[in-house]
Amino acid sequence: MHVRADLAEAHREAWEHLAKPGSWWTGEQRLEVAKTVLDALSDSEPIPPWGSISAVEGRLPASSSVPAFAHDVAYRIARHAGTLTEDWYVKASEELGPLPYVELVGVVTTVAAVSSFYRNTGVEVPEFPAPVSGEPTGDVPEETTDAELNWVPVAAPADQTSAVVQAYSAVPGEFANLWRMSSAQYMPAEEMVDPTWQRREGGLTRPQTELVASRVAQLRECFF
Amino acid sequence: MLSWSSAESDTDADLAAVAAGRDGVGLDNGDALVRFASAAAGDDDAELIASRVALVAETDEAFMIDAAAVAANFEMMTRLADGTGASMPAAAIESQEGIIDTYGVSHLTSRR
Repeated sequence: MHVRADLAEAHREAWEHLAKPGSWWTGEQRLEVAKTVLDALSDSEPIPPWGSISAVEGRLPASSSVPAFAHDVAYRIARHAGTLTEDWYVKASEELGPLPYVELVGVVTTVAAVSSFYRNTGVEVPEFPAPVSGEPTGDVPEETTDAELNWVPVAAPADQTSAVVQAYSAVPGEFANLWRMSSAQYMPAEEMVDPTWQRREGGLTRPQTELVASRVAQLRECFF
Repeated sequence: MLSWSSAESDTDADLAAVAAGRDGVGLDNGDALVRFASAAAGDDDAELIASRVALVAETDEAFMIDAAAVAANFEMMTRLADGTGASMPAAAIESQEGIIDTYGVSHLTSRR
């Protein structure tokens, strides 16, 4: 199977990104969470939203560098994102910290995208790379602020119209990775205003693209 | 976005058919795409394989790969939206009430 170069590169970079220290978590911790996400996504008997993977014997590594609660949060977002409530978020962010929480969501969404692509195309999901050693970078924007359109803090000033665009802006590494992937998987951000945009002749038209997008979002019970 | 892009490009997508996951969506290759997207978001591996084969037969491998990538993107974006509590401004919701009803999503927990 021939995958166009920009898409293959975006997925390769995404996997490498997971293994590197983020702003708040080490590469080793990020990969531990990533493995829990893969586990959640392929779980043939998923733990229900009110359950937690840390309560199930043998599901988490015996020796973990990540708090059990972080695995629970990652599993819930990976498997039951449509059930999340603001009360649940407040508890999670109080336990983990608001920005470490955002980075954790970034790990979940990266694994969800790449693993979905491989499953959709009938190819085995590649192994994760080895973790890159080093402490979290602490990289943050100059200023963060509460957002009217998101639970999570965002880079200041907050956007008043587009919640998705700014969702990861308080964690620069996740923000950059997200838009690199979205550009290759969906379309470059600057093309989104064009209802007739097409990546290549003979490829998906814009309405065909949006048909796939809307059907997946509907089945994920995502109102947004 | 489907309604907007469909109208702007003079195609006639039937949102109700997309929402129901049934044939008759009114776009080229639309029925095969709906079947593939539905399977991508589901747990039935056999149906995913069958829908992929059907889509490739109707189009080509590169087209299927593009569709697989879009589906993957929205496995990412839906979790981003729900994990970060993203909400739409009230005016945007009001302007899309018809689409919201068609998709039957007004009751969802993720409507914030």
